[in-house]
Amino acid sequence: MDALIIIFITGLLGLFVGMLKKSQLTLIVICTGLIAGFLSMFFMNDYESIFSSYNGLSFSRTQQMFGLLAIGLTLLAVLLGYAYYKEDTEHTADYYGLILFSLTGAICLIGFSNMFMFFLGLEILSIPIYVLVGIQKGNSLASEASVKYFFTGSFATAIMLFGIALIYGSTGSFEMKEIQMAIDMGMSHSPMLNIGVLMMMAAFLFKVGAVPFHFWGPDVYQGSSNAVMAFMASVVKLAALFAFVHLFNFTFQTLTPFVSGLVLFAIIVSLFLGYLSALKQTSFRRMMAYSSIANTGFALFAVLNQQFGEASLWVFLIGYACSTIALITINMIVEKETDELSNWKGIGYANPLIGITLVISLLSMSGIPPFTGFFGKYLLLSSAFSDHLPFVILAIIASLVGAYLYLRLMLLSLSREGEGQKLKMTGIQALVLIVSLAGTVGGWLVLLIK
Amino acid sequence: MELIFLPLILGIIAFFIPSKWIRPFGLLASLSVLGVSVAHLIQFDPRNYVLLFNPAEAFPLGLTFKMGYDGLALTMVLLTNAIISIIFLANWNREIASNARFTGLTLLMQFALLGLFTSLDGILFYTFWELTLIPIFLILYWFGKQDNNRALFKFFLYTLLGSLMMLLSFIALGYFSPNYSYFQLVQANFEGKAFEAALIMGGILFAFAVKIPLFPFHTWQAPTYTNAPMAGTMLLSALMLKMALFGMIKWMIPIGFEGLVYLKWPVITLGGIGIVYGAVIAMKQKDLKTLFAYASISHLGLIAAGIMLFSLSAIEASMVQIINHSIVAVGLFLAAGIIEDRLQTRNIDDLGGIAKVAPQFGFWFAVMTFISVSVPFTAGFIGEFILIKELFSAHWVIGITAATTLVFGAVYMLRAYQGSMFGPTKIESFKDLTWNEYLVFGILTIAAVGIGLYPQMIIEFIKPSIKFTQELMAGDLTLTK
Repeated sequence: MDALIIIFITGLLGLFVGMLKKSQLTLIVICTGLIAGFLSMFFMNDYESIFSSYNGLSFSRTQQMFGLLAIGLTLLAVLLGYAYYKEDTEHTADYYGLILFSLTGAICLIGFSNMFMFFLGLEILSIPIYVLVGIQKGNSLASEASVKYFFTGSFATAIMLFGIALIYGSTGSFEMKEIQMAIDMGMSHSPMLNIGVLMMMAAFLFKVGAVPFHFWGPDVYQGSSNAVMAFMASVVKLAALFAFVHLFNFTFQTLTPFVSGLVLFAIIVSLFLGYLSALKQTSFRRMMAYSSIANTGFALFAVLNQQFGEASLWVFLIGYACSTIALITINMIVEKETDELSNWKGIGYANPLIGITLVISLLSMSGIPPFTGFFGKYLLLSSAFSDHLPFVILAIIASLVGAYLYLRLMLLSLSREGEGQKLKMTGIQALVLIVSLAGTVGGWLVLLIK
Repeated sequence: MELIFLPLILGIIAFFIPSKWIRPFGLLASLSVLGVSVAHLIQFDPRNYVLLFNPAEAFPLGLTFKMGYDGLALTMVLLTNAIISIIFLANWNREIASNARFTGLTLLMQFALLGLFTSLDGILFYTFWELTLIPIFLILYWFGKQDNNRALFKFFLYTLLGSLMMLLSFIALGYFSPNYSYFQLVQANFEGKAFEAALIMGGILFAFAVKIPLFPFHTWQAPTYTNAPMAGTMLLSALMLKMALFGMIKWMIPIGFEGLVYLKWPVITLGGIGIVYGAVIAMKQKDLKTLFAYASISHLGLIAAGIMLFSLSAIEASMVQIINHSIVAVGLFLAAGIIEDRLQTRNIDDLGGIAKVAPQFGFWFAVMTFISVSVPFTAGFIGEFILIKELFSAHWVIGITAATTLVFGAVYMLRAYQGSMFGPTKIESFKDLTWNEYLVFGILTIAAVGIGLYPQMIIEFIKPSIKFTQELMAGDLTLTK
């Protein structure tokens, strides 16, 4: 709760500091605020919160872990964007402020304990993103992406709201605990409730970008700047996925048989459509968009696993988000006028840091141990193993397609033809690369802490 | 622990060594790792199980991180370290040896292999199994022929598919065992669930079958070998294939023993087909490296079939044959590498009369050829003889099929030797062996003849380990001897 306030105030403060037009100072203020938010989230059980009587938000151990991850990833995204936004001193503060407001929404979405807070979080998360996507005003692709994302996104939100209304109508409460109790008491066959849950699920699938609600993904990724893309692919996805899993694993847990078929369908279609479409892309952003659709497919296995779903999702997301941020950073260093994949030829051979990060990120994404991506997939798949074996096997076949995709990129960028092509990167970019590399290599070690 | 992590540390250091010093560094690094493993050997009592790393309690997810070795694993560790040193020595006068990336990757490969042989935890085993893929892949990509992407994709995806099947099996094993400790896995109770055991075993077998490679899974091998640099081929055939055979002996059969009834004859049949098929294809090959690749399918089919019998003497003979095959593979691929290096061709039709121009090379290539066709007093003779005998006592058809390897082996190897070394001289000049090549051929020959004269050295060394595994499987294992 205090973390939320700290981050919100930092966002506001950032806007004011931005008036001085000193991007370095703004960055320092924002980073300090994020670190303070991180610490207050980390030690949240050790001190009395000033808002202890408020119960719209509550953080269990798992929710705390997700909150920490969200703040950490935002920090990486902010650092990643610095090289791009420092040129544009007019808008540096807008960018940082919006990202922090969006993070506020993400934290609401992680800690919600009633439907009101949930919806509020979702909106606070989404609206700054609509703006951020279109922040490059001169770029027609960005405007297209922004408008497209805004219209489809608001439509999804409306459906979500309708679903919430139906659920309220059938259970008579906004409180998650009371909804759960009502469902357990025998409401689970009420058509109104079921339609409400279905609508919420559709809206969720849109927010996380799973097939068949994925069409916005590639266009939005292509139109947005690298830093916004990194933020969307990591934090926004994390918050939406967590809310999805949390809601369906706890509140709607009696309805699992009802939704599991649909979720399994979404998983398998996302996996295959995502990876197979990614194979055909020549632009890095579109490829990342499709690969993120496929990865969402993996993450959705968590919805079906009530016991360890959230913990597995956490490990999976560390691996996925760290490698995605690393790849986007590399794209930022490599990108010329376009983001064609041919720019990547040989970059890993000539630049050791980029090469190592790239290889390890791609291997982690293809699910090769001992990297975090493997452990995430392993946890998700092993818990689905006994109930949904055919789907696990399909998922493994899909991940083979994914491995081919990542392998191709790896071979391209490790080509010996790149000898001598040194790329320039700033210290901050190197820092982001090293941190995300550390997350990819050692993120799974958290499993050893009980 | 230093046994496993020394190559990792040295491998990372290697990337930062200037290219002037990298050549001696690689050799010294591999020799020092060999020295460490010899020190372990001296303290080792074959009747014991040495645990290198043994956390008291299991971690979440059933991970235990146990590591350790018995006689079987230590044999493989020593083999790995010796072969890596020999590979560095064999490449001494080549350009590849002065490349820091190559040295570093080879040492990382060594780390992964040692980890694999000493891991006593299912997930750890899987991790190291996959980890070996990365360095070899980069070695093949950077130092192999250009435009070899197709072969590489085939190699990587094929082995990855196998590994994923193995992962599925390990996930399924989690339902039969409280954690992934090797000792728990071996004792996993499949009573009345022989078919489930066979399925689990089948998944693991799939990974191994791709790597060995058994008959219908071999299509990646020949293109990968031909495109690979000499050192890459040596690593692949002398060490990586052995991971799978070791895995069969130590992991697959003890874990899923109840399912062996379903898989025993299918695998032996595939091995039998491989013996004949590999040999027949090898006879028609013109490229020396492709020829040796198919010969390898033939030899390994025999070993795999022998392991599936799971009798004491068959496993002992398999171990002898595993070591012998490593020796032969390094020797023959070195010979092919020498020919390619000096003449830029490996096609038998373009070769001829090398023995006249370079008599020393002719002699040593002949020695390697004889070791490969298992003449008496070499390691191959002992190994193949016992394996064929064991297969014969299982069924006479498979026995006769296996015995053809002796005839066929002689046909294709002598044809290859004759075609390249004798006959009309088609080459102008051929630089004879350099000192390091002498040394490699010498060491290999001494090893092969030494084992051929005194195979008990290995057999007695691994016997207690197999007995121990037998005790571990307590009651549900009947060794034929």
